[in-house]
Amino acid sequence: MANFNIDAKKDVTYDAIVIGSGISGGWAAKELCEKGLKTLVLERGKIVEHVVDYPTMNLDPWDMELRGGLTPEQKEKHYKAIRSGWIGTDTEHFWADDEANPYTEEKPFLWLRGHQMGGKSLLWGKQTYRWSDLDFEANAKDGHGVDWPIRYKDIEPWYTYVEKFAGISGEALGLPQLPDSHFLPPMELNCVEKHIKSRIEKQFKGRNMTIGRVAHLTQPHNGRGQCQYRNRCSRGCPFGAYFSSNSTTLPAANATGNLTIRPFSIVQSVIYDDQKGKATGVRIIDAETNEDIEYSAKIIFVNASALSTTQILMNSKSNRFENGLGNDSGELGHNLMDHTYRVGALGKVEGFDDKYYKGRRPNGIYIPRYVNIDEASKSDKFVRGFGYQGGAHRGGNAANTESFGAEYKDSILKPGPWEFFITGFAECLPYHENKITLNTDVLDKWGQPTLTIDAEFKENEKALNKQIQEDAVEMLEATGVKDVLGFDNEHPPGYGVHEMGTARMGRDPKTSVLNGFNQVHAAKNVFVTDGACMTSSSCVNPSLTYMALTARAADHAVSELKKQNL
Amino acid sequence: MDRRKALQKTGLLAGATLMMPTMLSILQSCKEEKRLDWQPEFFTEDEAKTVSLLVDMILPRTDTPGALDVKSDIFMDKVIARTYDAEGREHMRSEIAAFNADCEEKYGAVFIDLSESDRIAVLKKAEADSGKFNPGVWGTAVGEQEPIGFYRGLKSMAIWAFFTSEEIGENVLSYDPIPGNYEPCKPVSEVGNRWSL
Repeated sequence: MANFNIDAKKDVTYDAIVIGSGISGGWAAKELCEKGLKTLVLERGKIVEHVVDYPTMNLDPWDMELRGGLTPEQKEKHYKAIRSGWIGTDTEHFWADDEANPYTEEKPFLWLRGHQMGGKSLLWGKQTYRWSDLDFEANAKDGHGVDWPIRYKDIEPWYTYVEKFAGISGEALGLPQLPDSHFLPPMELNCVEKHIKSRIEKQFKGRNMTIGRVAHLTQPHNGRGQCQYRNRCSRGCPFGAYFSSNSTTLPAANATGNLTIRPFSIVQSVIYDDQKGKATGVRIIDAETNEDIEYSAKIIFVNASALSTTQILMNSKSNRFENGLGNDSGELGHNLMDHTYRVGALGKVEGFDDKYYKGRRPNGIYIPRYVNIDEASKSDKFVRGFGYQGGAHRGGNAANTESFGAEYKDSILKPGPWEFFITGFAECLPYHENKITLNTDVLDKWGQPTLTIDAEFKENEKALNKQIQEDAVEMLEATGVKDVLGFDNEHPPGYGVHEMGTARMGRDPKTSVLNGFNQVHAAKNVFVTDGACMTSSSCVNPSLTYMALTARAADHAVSELKKQNL
Repeated sequence: MDRRKALQKTGLLAGATLMMPTMLSILQSCKEEKRLDWQPEFFTEDEAKTVSLLVDMILPRTDTPGALDVKSDIFMDKVIARTYDAEGREHMRSEIAAFNADCEEKYGAVFIDLSESDRIAVLKKAEADSGKFNPGVWGTAVGEQEPIGFYRGLKSMAIWAFFTSEEIGENVLSYDPIPGNYEPCKPVSEVGNRWSL
């Protein structure tokens, strides 16, 4: 599937422009191309062609000179992102350069970025869950934020549509708070996980434990291979077994002949024509030559990732929009959300010493939300809820054993003790004061204003985290896990890498940026379908919802275009 | 990954003072020494000998290769030289010096010059006195990590260097780069040693 058309020189006019090629941008490109639109995808970073550009995909530790260790120069290049603990020599080339792309933390905030074709779709966690009306109705019911302009029934067919193409594996549970996807066969729980699942479900009414629902193929699907259980996903998968733009949507877009993808294209702004009353194109800076170029199109999808999308809109100033494109409401940049992260419990499991597993399963267990789902489960301590991810494996830290020498060495060659952990992800409320602003004092390598991020978790999230830890300890102790240790790493926002909000959808143009089809209220040929559009954060992973919203918005865009409404 | 990160983290946390070599250690270093058969990037020759001896005592050759057989000490030297910043490197140096100063104070000689029984006593005490690594989730330690001290940190690094060597990773541990499927409840007897990857 090689040979992307990257020659955007000969033509500066397209039917559609998509800014960004990550999870949502890739979907926009696929849908628009397949509907016959000549589409230009503007990508800030380099081309990463599926398989061809995965240099570390087959390396064992000993094949890497420092076996994963980073040099001081590499650490400096990623001096902000390195706090995540995710970056090693095997993936360093897929993480953005923090020095060239600075941002300012008014309060601590980890902003992880992937500046290449495919964006963070190469690096994401692949956990994919449908949202439910519990989520879409939450703001309306408890009064935080504004009401979503859509309900589950509006997005349900689009979930099915994207799931059938992307390939989502998981187990159907029939839970109203976590609707089932159109599933490929689930991955399996190991014997300790099965044991704990049965204990939890027996001892805690209303709680379920299941295998994570993931965008990993458990059987060949649409020309892509099934998971080989190597767990080297974020280096790029040569089998195409997980969903990424590179393996899945962009090849489909390319196959239509309608796709042009332009790498090294830093979008400076969306061009708005006051006379025509709509956006007419996009202004870019070539990252390599610093050349300014303008491209024009009838519709523009802004899918640069939540914060970068809003940064582009804020930087798109015109007579009509002095404070940024689509910012009539003053809400652009506000209501930033993430999920809480790394709070839960862990411990050791005895009695399975003769059991092991084969394969490095890139997935774990999931415990769906069980609080505040009905009157009976209502908490008086907080609104909204949380779910857990986790898993069992044989590990242990051999260095901690107080021993050395021949016997010790032979003992650590054997499988270590069984360990089990669960860690919660809690919903974050949309606070107006959690915001990003343009910073004209700190410029990036290309002289563009950068972002200042000013966000924090507040009392409701802290109360949720407290409950997450208490429940986690209680569940582990009740199921016979030993040496149970509760933990809360008290991560500031950003660590969940689920940035949502800053250009929210809503019913009222006075209080929101986008309408129910992800169109900028006052510039209807501009669509935002990445994390920026989110009106609330749910407690489940958001990427599947971005995919569904994108396909839905693209369908609407083409339909409106045909009616000459855009 | 966990161990390496924790080690780097604790390298900054653990407190140790820079010790000057004493006259005794200078005198003793002159006698009965074999020269190193490799050229360290970071360690001095005496530091390298100290670390080599430590990792050999922790992970000796048995019916499988030991740490020195797979050049764990040489790799550790390279990792410190190329991934530690100046502060981290200086800290490693001061910790080795403090370890040797402690040996001198209690047993009258630096570590490499002690009798085997004294060296074993030193390691037993170090095992008992050193802190422990917190457990981790997804590659990051949970909770507040207390300083773990020189010995535990070095031991952890030695195990990492040992397990990630090609010989141990491919031929001693159970090696399966492309499992192809997931078998969730496999008898240990059908696998053997722990998985290397």
